[in-house]
Amino acid sequence: MMNKTSLIAIALLVFMGFFPLFVDSAWLAVGTTFLVFAVVALSQDIILGRAGVFHMGHAVFFGLGAYTTAILNVNFGLPILATWAPAVLIPMLVAFIMVAPIIHLRGDYLLVATIGFNIIFIQVLENDVFGLTGGPNGLFGIDVVRLFGYDFSSQTHMYYMAFILLGLTLLIMRNLDKSKFGRAMFYIHKDEIAAQSMGINVRYFKLYAFILGAGIAGAAGSMFSVQYSAVSPEAFNVTQSIMFFTIVLVGGSASLPGVLIGTFIMFVLPEMFREFETARYLVFGIAMILTMILRPRGIWPVRFGNIPDFLKKGVK
Amino acid sequence: MSDYLLEISHVSKYFQGLVAINDLSMKVKKGQIYGIIGPNGAGKTTLFNCITGIYRPEIGQILWKGKDIKGSHPHKIAELGILRTFQTIRLFSEMSVAENIMSGRHIKSKQRWYNGVIPTPAYYKDEKENWEKVGELMDFFHLSEYATTPAGDLSYGIQRRIEMARALAAEPELLILDEPAAGLNENETLELTQTIRKIQAMGVTIMMIEHDMEMVMSLCEYITVINFGAKISEGVPSFVQDDPVVIEAYIGSDEDDDDE
Repeated sequence: MMNKTSLIAIALLVFMGFFPLFVDSAWLAVGTTFLVFAVVALSQDIILGRAGVFHMGHAVFFGLGAYTTAILNVNFGLPILATWAPAVLIPMLVAFIMVAPIIHLRGDYLLVATIGFNIIFIQVLENDVFGLTGGPNGLFGIDVVRLFGYDFSSQTHMYYMAFILLGLTLLIMRNLDKSKFGRAMFYIHKDEIAAQSMGINVRYFKLYAFILGAGIAGAAGSMFSVQYSAVSPEAFNVTQSIMFFTIVLVGGSASLPGVLIGTFIMFVLPEMFREFETARYLVFGIAMILTMILRPRGIWPVRFGNIPDFLKKGVK
Repeated sequence: MSDYLLEISHVSKYFQGLVAINDLSMKVKKGQIYGIIGPNGAGKTTLFNCITGIYRPEIGQILWKGKDIKGSHPHKIAELGILRTFQTIRLFSEMSVAENIMSGRHIKSKQRWYNGVIPTPAYYKDEKENWEKVGELMDFFHLSEYATTPAGDLSYGIQRRIEMARALAAEPELLILDEPAAGLNENETLELTQTIRKIQAMGVTIMMIEHDMEMVMSLCEYITVINFGAKISEGVPSFVQDDPVVIEAYIGSDEDDDDE
């Protein structure tokens, strides 16, 4: 049962679980950001790495989650806890409305369409539609999570909430990979015509990937807005979407460790070399180029063959 | 309901004005092994693509148990029980052999939409049953030792077996084989012939395109010969074999058989 990958995973979880005990608040914030962005990157990976859809507008769903929590809390005074469900459901609904009409488009065309959605999304936020989004400055003064008279307001609280969110996301993705739904996405990704001919409804499963990915990204967005107690449009622009897209490809499509490594390189490494911080995009740019040349399937490529043990008996 | 499982009636398919299939009709009986032969570029694969919904013929009807399925989505046609293999093998080559065959279980799996995220007892049962079926098929096609091997790493002959196993996993009523013996050596072809007989014995109707005449003549109960998209002859193997029209079509063309 215990293979090398699961040992590494457990070691990593233990390390991340105790991480707040060893570091100062600045590093704790970096750690929290890593966790939140890891969740977003993983949700992008459902769409890009699993279903194989070239989706470059993921910041829309991340931003919708963040703004849903922000608007409901700041403008309508709802407690953060009450915004969680809408912050997941609204991105899912928007994903359906937005993507259903374009889901049949081939890779490159769909990519352009999703970038278009991202640009529109930023325009809507900046123009303070219905006086809700706060325009270019965004919204601030977002509350903290309160439950039974407790305030979860410290950096450590934020960290563990994000930690739990990442744990849940990994659990969902594990379940997905072991289900008919995750497999159908892979089949579509690897050969759409063959998948159709096996009875797989391509449209349905691509939409499924989008809606699931949007919901998870929305949850991460909600967490993000509470962590910074503010949201503003530039955190959700096309550059951010490109980042999530790239993390998946550089780390390794459909590979959970790969996507975590990609997130680490993008969001944690720059912090470790603070004096080079302005060079962070240079470093990542070079990493992107080198990875695509040397390891086109990512730093930690996905490994298939995840089948029940009783089927491995005949394997020599 | 008619006596025929599949009736193709006056089907024509054009590609930008070019006739790929011209007024083609044929009737396939349940339990039959039905052969389709003809020179390269005759429109055989195009016909299979029309039946399986990859192409939509402009004219004619394709009746499955009396109901017109022309223009249905490929996945709908697979759900009806019409499964196929491809002339140019189309496996999920990075994925393991077992996972490839599991794709055939897709339409038989009863997992609900929420099982992609949350496992339930019914999910575990369904998952186990389907993997067991995959195990049975790997035994049947002698693939068990490759269960975890990426399909793309295996030889041509083995890949052809995986493709058939994958199609059979969906428990088809009609199995469509597009040049199953292409690229196989003599032993493999012999083995394939026996396998196809066994599949027929399971009650599966088979339609096949094949250039290996020995195999076609020994396996098929009925044959349609196509040339330039139109039927030039049909009948039992002994009739077709001696039909002067067929002989002329074959001698008049290059018998080198690779691509349509």
